[in-house]
This record gives sequence, C-alpha cells and structure tokens, in this order.
Amino acid sequence: MPWPTTRRVIGTKVSRLDGPEKATGRAKYSYDINRPGMLHARILRSHYAHARIKNIDTSALEKVPGFRAFHIIKNAGAECRFAGDEVLAVCADTEEHAEDCLRAVRVDYDELPHAVKEADARRLVAGQGTLGGANNPANTQAGGDFATANFDAQAYQGTSHQIEGTYGAPVISHQCLESHGLVAEWNQDQSELTVWASTQAVPNTANQLAQNFKIPAARVRCITHYMGGGFGSKFGPDIQGTVCAELARKTRAPVKLMLDRAEEVTVGGQRPSAYGTVKVAGNRQGDIRAFEVDCYGSPGVGGGATVNFNLLPYVYVTVPFIKRRHQIVRMNVQTARAMRAPGHPQNCILTDQALDDLAAAVGINPIEMRLRNLPPNDPNALKTAPNTYMARRNSIYRSQIEIIRKMCDWDRVWHPPGRGDGVVKTGLGMALHTWGGGGRGPNPTRITISADGSVLVQSSSQDLGTGQRTVAAIVTAEIFGLEPTDITVQIGESQHGPSTPSGGSTTCPGTAPAILRACEATRAAFLAAIAPRLNNAQVDDLVIERGNILNRANNERTPWRQACARLGQNPVQATGDWAAGLSDQGVGGVQVAEVKVDTETGVVRCTRFWAVQDCGLVINKLCCESQVAGGVIMGVNYALFEECIYDRATGRQVNPDMEFYKLGGIQDMPQIYVHMMDMPERGVIGIGEPPTISTAAAVGNAVFNAIGVRVEQAPFTPERVLAALARRK
Amino acid sequence: MKNFTYFRPTTPEQAVALLENRWGNTELLAGGTDLHDLQKEYVAQPARVVSLSGVNALAGIRVEEKSVRIGAGAKLADIANHAELKRLFPSLTDAADQIGGPQIRNMGTLGGNLCQRNRCWYFRDEHTNCLLKTGQRCFALDGENKYHAIFSQGHRCVIVNPSTLAPALIALGASAVVQGPNGRRTIELGRFFRAPGANNEREHVLEANDMVVEVTIPRSNLANASYEVRHKQAYDWPLVQAAVSFERGDGGVRNPRVVLGHVAPTPHVAEAAARSITGQAVSEATAGAAGRAAAQDAKPLSQNGYKVKLVEVAVKRALIIAAGQKRYWEV
Ligand SMILES: Cc1cc2nc3c(=O)[nH]c(=O)nc-3n(C[C@H](O)[C@H](O)[C@H](O)COP(=O)(O)OP(=O)(O)OC[C@H]3O[C@@H](n4cnc5c(N)ncnc54)[C@H](O)[C@@H]3O)c2cc1C
Repeated sequence: MPWPTTRRVIGTKVSRLDGPEKATGRAKYSYDINRPGMLHARILRSHYAHARIKNIDTSALEKVPGFRAFHIIKNAGAECRFAGDEVLAVCADTEEHAEDCLRAVRVDYDELPHAVKEADARRLVAGQGTLGGANNPANTQAGGDFATANFDAQAYQGTSHQIEGTYGAPVISHQCLESHGLVAEWNQDQSELTVWASTQAVPNTANQLAQNFKIPAARVRCITHYMGGGFGSKFGPDIQGTVCAELARKTRAPVKLMLDRAEEVTVGGQRPSAYGTVKVAGNRQGDIRAFEVDCYGSPGVGGGATVNFNLLPYVYVTVPFIKRRHQIVRMNVQTARAMRAPGHPQNCILTDQALDDLAAAVGINPIEMRLRNLPPNDPNALKTAPNTYMARRNSIYRSQIEIIRKMCDWDRVWHPPGRGDGVVKTGLGMALHTWGGGGRGPNPTRITISADGSVLVQSSSQDLGTGQRTVAAIVTAEIFGLEPTDITVQIGESQHGPSTPSGGSTTCPGTAPAILRACEATRAAFLAAIAPRLNNAQVDDLVIERGNILNRANNERTPWRQACARLGQNPVQATGDWAAGLSDQGVGGVQVAEVKVDTETGVVRCTRFWAVQDCGLVINKLCCESQVAGGVIMGVNYALFEECIYDRATGRQVNPDMEFYKLGGIQDMPQIYVHMMDMPERGVIGIGEPPTISTAAAVGNAVFNAIGVRVEQAPFTPERVLAALARRK
Repeated sequence: MKNFTYFRPTTPEQAVALLENRWGNTELLAGGTDLHDLQKEYVAQPARVVSLSGVNALAGIRVEEKSVRIGAGAKLADIANHAELKRLFPSLTDAADQIGGPQIRNMGTLGGNLCQRNRCWYFRDEHTNCLLKTGQRCFALDGENKYHAIFSQGHRCVIVNPSTLAPALIALGASAVVQGPNGRRTIELGRFFRAPGANNEREHVLEANDMVVEVTIPRSNLANASYEVRHKQAYDWPLVQAAVSFERGDGGVRNPRVVLGHVAPTPHVAEAAARSITGQAVSEATAGAAGRAAAQDAKPLSQNGYKVKLVEVAVKRALIIAAGQKRYWEV
C-alpha cells in the first residue's frame, strides 16, 4: 500500500500524545524509576588524564555506612587514558553513601604524560606519545589526503580572486539533559534481567547485556518508555550498564546508576573538534574553481569516530579542483561519540564560511555565490531514481534559497560585510546542509483492534525525540478513520521485538512505513473478520471512512465502535515491517541567521533565524517544525557558547558543568521561523539531524556580515569577537 | 555530600555560639545555593551545619528615614522586586535581578551573596589542590584564566570576587552589621572583602564565628547604576561589572564612586575613574574617559586581556545609565 494521496491527519500539526505526561512529570524516565530495596551505584574514575594504576586499596569500604558491594573495572597495572576513565564501581544504600564510598577507596597511580590540547598533541612525535601502550606512538596520524588530478598545475588557472582563512570549532559535549544510566534488576534466581535504561537502542541494549552476562537474549528486558536526549551517545548499555547489572547481581538487589553532570560532560560523549585553513579561488563571476583545505581535529583518545573530512567541500561537491589534507589528533580526553549529524556541522563550518569570505573578496552577494556553485542535479540519478536528493539537489536548494530569501527579506536586510551604523551591528548569514535520513528494518509493528473499538500499536522502537508515539498514532488514525488520541501506543520495550537504533535520523522513515504496513495487514484482517457479521457484506465492498465502515454495495455506514463490537471475543491483530518504497533518503536544507553584534563588548546575540528544510513526506508538521527549532537551538549554542575547556597542567576539563560550559537559555535564543517543504512523492525521510548542521556556519557568516571581519573560531565569544575587531583596525 | 549534624538556632546570638573559631568544620547555611553545591562537590565538608532558616530576625527590608536596612536573610528575589529599593537603588535591584535564575534568586540571600565562595573552576574541582585548599600553587595563574582577575597585583590567588551585589552596595556606601561572639559591630562594605590566599582565609574579613545580620545603606539621592557585560543573557555570570554612584550637581558629577566586579579578588574601587568623571557632565565622551581611567592599571593574565576593554565599556555604560541618558547600545 502506498502512502494515501489524500491525507486527513498525516502532515497536519498534531500535539505530542505524551506532551502532558512529560510536562507534568508523570512520564517516568530511567532516572525516575525507583524499585523496592534499590541500591545506588557510583563509578570511581581516574583524576589523571593519563596514569597507570599501581594499587587499589578497598579495605576501608567496609567501614563506610551503607556500603554494599564494589566491582573492579581496571586492575593494578592498567592505564587510565583520560580524566574520567573508569577504575571501579561501588554501590551503597543511598547515593550519598555511594559517594562517600568512592572517597574511601585508595588508588595509587603512576602519573604519565598527557596532552589535552590539540596544539600540544600535534607536537608529539613517535616515542613521545601520550596515548598509552608500549611504544608511545605519535598522537597524530594522517587522515586520508586527496587531490584532484593536476591540482597543483591547474587549480588556480584563470582565477581572479582567492581567499585563505582559518575556521574551526572546539570539542563540545552532548550534554544530554537526562544523563546516561539505568536501573538494573534481576529476578529471584538471577536468570532474568530487567533494565530501565536511557538508550536510543532498546533491543540492542538488551542484546548486548545478554551477551555480556551470557544469558539468553530472551531473558533480558530493556524498558525505555521515555528518554531525555541521546544525540548519538546512547547506543548501548555502556560500561555503566554492565557495571550496574553486575552490582545488582552481586547484591541481589535492584541498582540505579546514573551519571552525574560532571560525568555526563566528561565521559558521556563529545563532538570532535575541527580546525582548518581553507583556500578558495574563483573568477569574477563567483564560480569556484579551487577548494584547498588543510585541517585537523580531535576525536579524543580513542580510535573511533572522527570528522569525515572527505565530505569537504561540503555540499558544493562539484567544485572542479579539490585538495584535502587531514590530520587526526588524539589527546587524553574522552573518545568522540556520534553526535547529531556527526562530522557535518564541522564540514559546513569549514566550507560555508570560506564561501562567504570569497564572496566578499569577489564583491558579490553570498546568495549569488551559492546559486552559482550549487551541485547540478545528477543526470544519472535523474534517470534511475528521480526522487532522490542526487537527482534533485540543485532544484531543492534553489527553491529553498528562493523561499528563505523572501522569508528573511534578504534583499532588503543584507548589506555588504561590515557596513552599518552604530555600536550594535546587524548581520545576516546563510549556510546549506545535507543529510541521509533513510529508513530501514527490521521495525516490526503490531496492531490490535479490540471489540470495544480500541486500537493498540506496539513496537520496541524508542522515542529519541521524534515524537514516536504520535507518529504511530497519526499513521494509524489516518488509515482507520480515527483521531490520533483514539490510538494507544506502546513503545520502548524490547519484548515487542526487534527495532533499529535511533541513529542517523532513521527512526521515522524506519518505523512509519512499518506502521503503515501493519495498518494495512490489520485492516485486511479486520474487514475480513467483520464482513460476515455486517449483513454478510463482501470484504471488497467495505471501506473505512472517517468514523465509519462503508459498505459500497448498499451505502450502509456502520460506526467504528459498532463495527468493532462485531469482533466479539476475538480481537484482530497483525504486524507489518518496513519495506522499501515508502521512505527515501537525502535531504537538503538552507538556514539564515540574523545576529546583532555589540562592537564595544563583543557580545553576539542571535536575534532571528530562518530554516527551510525538506524531509519528504511530512508525518507530523508540528514535530517536524520543533525538530528544526531544536536543531537550530543546538546549533546556536555551538556557534555562541559551547566549548569543553581542558587544562594543560592538570589534564582535567575545567568546565564539566552547566555553569561555565555555557548553554543558552530562552533569552539567548533567536525567534525561529521554520518552513517545511513537503515532498510526499519521496516518502518519509528523517530530519532529526540535518537542522543542526548549518546553524553554526550561518551564525558565523552573520557575524562576519555584521562586523566585516571573520571570527575564526566558534564559539564566537566576546573575547574572540573583540580580538577579531582589533585585527580589523 | 559528607554527612553532617544540622543545627537550627532561632537567634543570631545562638547561631554565632554554635560556630567555631576556625573555618571548615562548621558552616553557616542560608539559602544553600552555594554551600550545598560545594558540599556536593566535596569541596566543603563541614561536620556541622548551622541553618539560619529559623532566625526570623534576619528577614525583612526596612526603608527608614536615614537609612535602608536589609536583613542578611532577605532573598535576592525580594531585593530585586522591592518597589522602594528599585526607586532608590536601581544599581542594587538590577544587580539582584540578574543573578542566576529564578530558583537561585528565590533561595539565595543577601548574607549568602556577600559571603559566597569564589567560582574559580580550579578551586571548585575536588581533585585540583589549589592554594585555597592545601596546595602550593594557583593553577589559574598560567592556566585557564579567561574569567579570572585583571587587577590582582600582589595576590597569589587570582580569583574574582563573585558577588555582584557587593560593588553596587559599596558604591552606595553600605555597611554590614556583624554579630560576633562578643556582640555586634559595623563594617563598611568597602572594607569587608579581602583576597584569600590560603585555606584558612575567606573572601571576606569575617572571623569563622562571625555572621552578617544586616546591611544598611544610607538614604540619599545618589544617582546610581550597575552595568554587567554578560556573554549569555540567561543564567550566567557577568564577565565584568561596573557599579557607580554620584551626586548630581550644577558643576557636574560630585563625589562619584566607581566599583568594579569580576575583575579582582575583591570588588575593585576604581579611584582614577572617579577622579576622571568628577566635575564633568556625563556624556559618552566623559564617561568613556572615565572607563579608560578605570582600566588603566589592569594587568591581565594570559587569557583575559579582553576584560580590560570590557571595564572601559562597563564603566561608561553604568555612568550613562545613572545619568539617565539614552542607552546608545540598545537597539
Ligand atoms: C548559575 C549561577 C549564577 C549566579 N550568578 C550570580 C551573579 O551574577 N551575581 C552574584 O552575586 N551571585 C550569583 N550567583 C550566586 C548566588 O548569588 C549565591 O549562590 C547566593 O547569593 C548565595 O546565597 P545563599 O543564601 O544561598 O548562601 P549559602 O549557600 O547558604 O551560603 C553561602 C556562603 O555564605 C555563608 N553565609 C550565609 N549567610 C551568611 C551570613 N548571614 N553571615 C555570614 N556568612 C553567611 C555560608 O556559610 C556560605 O559559606 C550565581 C549562582 C549560580 C548558581
């Protein structure tokens, strides 16, 4: 069944079904779960950025009031590679006693050299490294250099203008409002484990715990009815999940282990830093010929994710000559985790800001610059897959730019960089982004219709912020002629079956098709069940209208509840799963920021913001718009406030909090105007991530437009803005 | 948080009698917005906590003929919203109104505000043993110091005093009434603060068994204002604050006081700025000159040179607000 072509509920603005629960505190997050006899666990962490454990002395623990058990994570001889690395866990009757327990354990360390700043780490050659292991490898490694053939000979031929600029952004933290953690509880004979975990991958979390404890997957249950933010940092049980379940096993009691704020910031996930020197050259008309970038960034101490610099130049992929040099810098801070559109915001910062600098050098409007250099619609894709981003990217961006141009009154408000009177200067800046957001299975969804007319939708998928209950209710209500509030949705429990993790903006495109197909299967079963009891109607004559079942043969209408009543003792139930054709991937978006820069104080305020976003078929317009607003808020923070500040001497983060790790409040946020492009023919595409990508670059360009000088590094703080202004004079 | 014994006296005399003559083992508790934070971080580990919540005598704001008396237990929100105070001392009420968020203002008290510990991120980190604990060095001196002092000549510890009420109160000539074991005494707020340099010193001159009972401000017609440069508007500390007061006379500004916040280990009285504006009519030019004078002797650390410029601007803007002139930076 394709998506209905006329849509009564889908694409309208529907308030979140669980909004009242969340707003009133009735919604129970993992943090809110309290089990009878529950204990509290805490983790002892290395204070040092790099050290070898000499000795762990737990003998004083027994004397601490409330102490119950401990669990060693790293033994003597092991290395701790960043401040926050786990050493041991304890549990006690209260959180406060557990904290006291941490201070009763004595750990002796041999301190080892560390580097917590990119500049320091870059200086260390092999033999001097601080990453641990026997032969001290260097902290840096080359990261996939690339150059278009004949770049050196031809790239700059015939170009009239060239700029070289430095751009970048520091390591930032996910700062999930609900920290990482869980409550773990075993049954009496310790054959079954239940966890209430804050996770964006419910079945994954259960499965990994089953593996770790070598028990059948069917015996582990993960419950995540609500979760308070993950952004890519909560894909499994994590070390605290395993430790918590282990302590629960040892003590035969439920145990809660949630990270505190400092832990959340120092070990809960980070977005890698990215800095680069970019050269861009083009002709008088603004056609870019050469894009050359030398960049580096730090994914922390581990070997995992870094910035995918292969995306450079971001969006404008058809620039004829491209050269990239990229260095991965490791330092003694937590390893990066996926964070809302991993890599993309950094690449956007390195590309879209350089583009505006070239536009200023050439002397053309940045909009013209973008229109001239947009990648063309891909002719091959046009033939084979005409609805895809590749086939339509030029058209998508072009129409988005035209829409946003009108929304923000660009042609009237924009001025050449640095023009403007007064102490407080206003500027406009634009940036573009793209993202995948494709769905996949398995996401089996089960629907049950009962004789009382109630409709139950069940799947294990979690609500990372997509408004997942509401998505399920909207699709189901559409097909059964009901209202979203008529539908009961149960999600976030692993026993409902498999589901895909919420990563890569895949939840809505992965589940909405499954829900639709479950509706289709259930509708067929339902009509087949009731037809004989509706005066022996032919199934093929029955259609579901709003509130009624219509028999087209005799134009007889039976209200929904009466029709359901004919089911008697036998509810109907059917499942459906994701299938290709109902979702797609690849979106484009354009954003414009307006800022006001106080040139005496260097304080930047983002005052208005416009975002145009495509996401295929819009399921819930309200949630889509608020996703975009949320992405923009996150991006404004990235642009103006956020930074993990690491201290060279101690190797510790000095701001693992919400005080000096700055996050804007409502007064710091712009008025946000969102325009959703509805393209139903493309099916459902996810938009969790894209709307945060280009925000920081747009703000950076707006600051440049306001004051006529580039502030090189985000966040654009008063000291950096003042330094940039001083350079201009 | 380490467990502690909780006391709840009902008079200032009883409260003081429960204190000890050394810091650390017993702490006074007012709104708790600072003390409990420090306890949770194990930076403060008192074994005894003396709550002031039962001491009714500390509450209240009284506007009298000669002076205004604000109890040490007055909530920041009550100060910020007090109509008469707003009219007389907008520098104080504006400063109070910008502190933290509503939760902090509803719990935080005047006494706690004046006696709160500094916000240095090394001091507040349990695992960094700085001068103000038992350590031997100030980590901010050559470390992460963008929020630290630019006037710290001669001090080993380069914190900034966190209170934004203090500069406003000092500029208004306020005094603290202090209860000690031997009775009450009055300390001008201009002499109330000190630069601590070790773990047996606080950011003020009180003894460990003293407490603030109230603050008195002489009634006057002083023009006054406080201006804060803030990175964020919500829930943030100022980068730099300037509080000013002066008498309006025919010959221009008389007896001005200019006091800076968040630039030194104590509220910093900028005498050169006061001299500069004395006898002048306030204008962007004269206020700007006073601002430059205020910043003159600054000796920034490695990362806080920008604060010098902010001092100039904050003083200029505070003078312009106090003089009731157009706020040229508001668009
Ligand atoms: C995010 C944030 C932003 C903030 N921004 C600002 C700001 O911009 N400007 C500003 O000034 N403050 C700011 N504050 C600090 C806030 O003003 C203080 O936390 C508050 O005023 C402390 O008052 P309290 O009653 O809660 O003190 P408590 O936490 O109870 O006590 C603080 C200290 O004062 C001592 N004390 C309390 N009462 C007395 C007394 N009567 N006599 C002697 N000693 C006493 C206590 O022993 C303790 O050492 C901010 C705080 C936060 C968390």
